[in-house]
Amino acid sequence: MAVLQEPIKEPLEIKNLIDGEWVESEGEYKDIVNPATGDVIGRVPISTKSELDEAVEAAQEAFPYWRQMPPVARARCLFRLRDLLEENFEELSRIQTMEHGKTIDESRGETRRGIENVEVATGIPSLMQGGYLEDIAAGIDEYLVRQPLGVFGLITPFNFPFMIGLWFAPYAVATGNCVVLKPSSEDPMCQTKIAELAEEAGIPPGVWNVVHGGRDVVSGMLEHRDIVGICFVGSTPVARDVIYKGCGDTGKRCIAQAGAKNFAVVMPDADLDRTVAACMTSYFGNTGQRCLANANLVIVRENLTDQEFEAFYQTVVDKFVAAATKIRIGYGLDESVQMGPLRDAGKKQRVLGYIEKGIEEGATLRLDGRTFELVADLPRDAFIGPCVFEDVRPDMVIARDEIFGPVANMMRAATLDEAIDMIHDNPFGNAASIFTGDGGWAREFRYRVVCGNIGVNVGIAAPMAFFPFSGMKDSFFGTLHGQGQEAIRFFTESKMVIERWF
Amino acid sequence: MVESVTASAVISLAEELEDEAVAFYEQLAERFSDQEATFLGFAKEGAKNKTLVVRTYRETISDALEACFSFEGVDLGAYRAPADGIDASSGYAEALVSAIEREERAIRFYDEMAERSQALMATIPMAFKRVGKTRGKRKLKLQALLDEGE
Repeated sequence: MAVLQEPIKEPLEIKNLIDGEWVESEGEYKDIVNPATGDVIGRVPISTKSELDEAVEAAQEAFPYWRQMPPVARARCLFRLRDLLEENFEELSRIQTMEHGKTIDESRGETRRGIENVEVATGIPSLMQGGYLEDIAAGIDEYLVRQPLGVFGLITPFNFPFMIGLWFAPYAVATGNCVVLKPSSEDPMCQTKIAELAEEAGIPPGVWNVVHGGRDVVSGMLEHRDIVGICFVGSTPVARDVIYKGCGDTGKRCIAQAGAKNFAVVMPDADLDRTVAACMTSYFGNTGQRCLANANLVIVRENLTDQEFEAFYQTVVDKFVAAATKIRIGYGLDESVQMGPLRDAGKKQRVLGYIEKGIEEGATLRLDGRTFELVADLPRDAFIGPCVFEDVRPDMVIARDEIFGPVANMMRAATLDEAIDMIHDNPFGNAASIFTGDGGWAREFRYRVVCGNIGVNVGIAAPMAFFPFSGMKDSFFGTLHGQGQEAIRFFTESKMVIERWF
Repeated sequence: MVESVTASAVISLAEELEDEAVAFYEQLAERFSDQEATFLGFAKEGAKNKTLVVRTYRETISDALEACFSFEGVDLGAYRAPADGIDASSGYAEALVSAIEREERAIRFYDEMAERSQALMATIPMAFKRVGKTRGKRKLKLQALLDEGE
């Protein structure tokens, strides 16, 4: 089967975009490595705090001009950006596969979801409208206007290098704000390319800045008095620090989307073939490196006898393991490949540590992904096969921690109530899915479960761009979420005017 | 050979089938000038089919659906058209028979992919069905041409 051409032929030197200029950083540079091939495909700077300050200053200077630009004119810039993203769809998707490792289908899916956010933001002349009510008292009218706030800092993670920046940036600039975006230094190429296209689309200098780097840039953003808000996606401990310590100290508004440990619940009447197909994407898609990935699979007994339940449990697990065993692992640009590597060897070591932990805790490793076949002759450093644990209890570390790898835990529950209790006992609340043919069970589940994103016969409950990307408990900190109308509200302040003429 | 098949591989094969159809019917148009307009029409249709399938895939693919797992066990090789076009020495009727065989293969491909992709967003099976239908109509026209000639 075909291996698609790589769009990056020579290693790229990544630069910062500050005030419309592509500038080299004075900081150190680190290699960007294709996790599937081990090839160095570029170098990214670890920028200095003063470079961040320059970007914030440029954004501040651009803000008064940009906010005065009519919303329809800002929308036109986004329409052009949308067209450019479409024109570059395939290249952008292949870059994701090269820098992150995901399969080409996954990359194209991510590109599509990113573009959809730009499309939604083009509706800004309608989305940003306020409200007006005449005669709140005799001869007095009252109205609401939504105004931009200034400069926002966007900090994006490695697992969706293209899409997550677009959960925020299009809405921020559409509403008249300016942004300084710091992509993950592990896979910064997509965001660099998007910024190039934003520039080509006519977004003025200083409005959309990119500063690459690490902790110094992040802490610089959090401390900066001229940054009015932060959007962050990453791990729970860091998200907590970002919102409470960083943004709390400086009074910034914040969206902090964090970690997850998601459950799927399989009821006795589920369509098992389709459930298992959905689970393959959910548990092993993106090599398990996604905050909406399911990790714990709870097989529910409900009205079955002991014998019937045992048979049902075994059927689910057998089908799951059989499908997982067949997954082809390799370089994502190979069209026959269904699962790529983890982002790097360090992440693989972390996952291996959890597998050891699971065995120590007494779980049974039914499918051992530590031994696996690769589709081609590739370095094995970052690859791992799908893993399936049985006999997992909810209190085990592997059932509670976010492993961020292709590890599935099989669990049992006597009733739907018990399954929901297991979900609630877990500190995270990002997503949960139920597989059933029964509307009553499905309703009970979606009504009661305290998670931000619920799937009914859907393995990955990923909200579309026109809905908020929700999250609860330790999976989300803040009030308003990214995407859609909530993003518009996050990036604007509601100003009320009460007007009377003498 | 039965392979592990991704959505990307299926779309690549659809592109290949349509490209091959364009080249094949252009060749027929050149060889058999009496039916030049008909064959050029088929070639033009091939280009439209390719655009429809690729556009639908790109506009609806989502990382959240079962793109990598819906086509498990499909034998893509069974749908590949022969690499060569028609033999230079083949006559009109022979060329039509070859064309009908290609259409039948393509129809089977699109029908199976439409069935397999039910779990993906609805536009994807709809696009496969639509192209399969187009190829079905083309087969009927080819059959009529063959019958006329006999």
